[in-house]
Amino acid sequence: MDPPLTTALNDFNYERALHGCARGERQALQDIYQQDSRHLLGVALRIVRQRQQAEDIVHDAFMNIWTQAASFDARRGSGRGWIYSVVRNLALNAVRNGVREVSVDEEAAEALDAQTSLQAHVQADDAFDLRVSLGKLNDCLAMLEPARRNCILYAYVDGCSHGEIAARTQTPLGTVKAWIKRSMGSLRECMG
Amino acid sequence: MSTQQEAPSTEELAAEYVLGTLSATRRRMVEQRLPADAMLESAVQRWHEQLLPLVALAEPAEPSAQLWQRIERSVAHAVAPRRPAILPVPQPWWNSLGLWRGMAGAGFATAAIMAAVLVTRQGMLPTGPQYMVVLVAPQDTAPGWVIQTSNTRQLSLTPLGTVVVPAEKSLQFWTKAEGWSGPVSLGLVKPGQTVHIPLDKLPPLQPNQLFELTLEPVKGSPTNRPTGPIQFMGRAVKVL
Repeated sequence: MDPPLTTALNDFNYERALHGCARGERQALQDIYQQDSRHLLGVALRIVRQRQQAEDIVHDAFMNIWTQAASFDARRGSGRGWIYSVVRNLALNAVRNGVREVSVDEEAAEALDAQTSLQAHVQADDAFDLRVSLGKLNDCLAMLEPARRNCILYAYVDGCSHGEIAARTQTPLGTVKAWIKRSMGSLRECMG
Repeated sequence: MSTQQEAPSTEELAAEYVLGTLSATRRRMVEQRLPADAMLESAVQRWHEQLLPLVALAEPAEPSAQLWQRIERSVAHAVAPRRPAILPVPQPWWNSLGLWRGMAGAGFATAAIMAAVLVTRQGMLPTGPQYMVVLVAPQDTAPGWVIQTSNTRQLSLTPLGTVVVPAEKSLQFWTKAEGWSGPVSLGLVKPGQTVHIPLDKLPPLQPNQLFELTLEPVKGSPTNRPTGPIQFMGRAVKVL
């Protein structure tokens, strides 16, 4: 299955657009906006979960892209990766610094009965539709058990903290932390 | 399980920083270490690239029609810096209105230039992240005030010109970082006077943190939230 997203972004030269921004070309910033604002807003919205705050994040991200484009170094990573990292960092900082975390009762999550959660994890289904093409990452994620894979995806896509993942998956907090740590280690080895 | 109590390795920090599971404190710690820690930086960079395909799992959302207009307006206040090396540097540097008028239109970017000026003129060796904020009037492009943090653990608000405050009114200084429920008062400000605020009275500054001066009743806002019109505003830029 070939998602339209991949085809569309192959045509866009993010590095050239960022260099344009660094030279003060507003059209270059607008090109990035036209190319990716829907996807960037989608990424922010999944993490902060409030429409207005997500738009604020995208606004601030475009300001950062505009003012910091000169610090982008194509030798260290892709332009597209840099742009998404700006949005994700702002969104994650907002939810980690903000009120959302307060509403999560980590202790309650920790106190969950380990036995019940173990059974839940054995029966866990994938919470994410992984038919989109993730390339090599897909193969590496496929090597993880669904319950552990879900933890990784709840964190990355939904911006969930350890505590939120524990509550969502009915798994003790310590288990979630250990799973995530080991899963990231496995991914690291698999991705090379 | 035996490794659980150990401090996380550089690789683990980088992985969970990009994944997003670090606490606010840990995230700030990583961000402070990044500029000086090449190993951490390259691990973070690698994870950003390797996990990037996952952004496709978030369904796109259509931005409101106003979003691009807002960005365009903000960009108009943030003209990219040009040849900062040849800027005239008066002594003391902030007293030259000519310098400021010459940089009219600059917002964020001015801060970067000023930081360079500061470091070279004053030989400051900052210990933590340093922030600059240039406050401009909403309908204007000329900088009115500048905020800087210094290694004396102070935040200073310095006027760049004279401001006329109507009788029975005061200027009140506010800040709000992303995720805060509302602005926090930093006190009243007298026109033409520099204000110093100890940084330990504030949560750690963040990039993009908003600062503003609003017109309030003489004794300050009765609600502890801004009630009057914004006179000057700007956002924090991390400069070092």
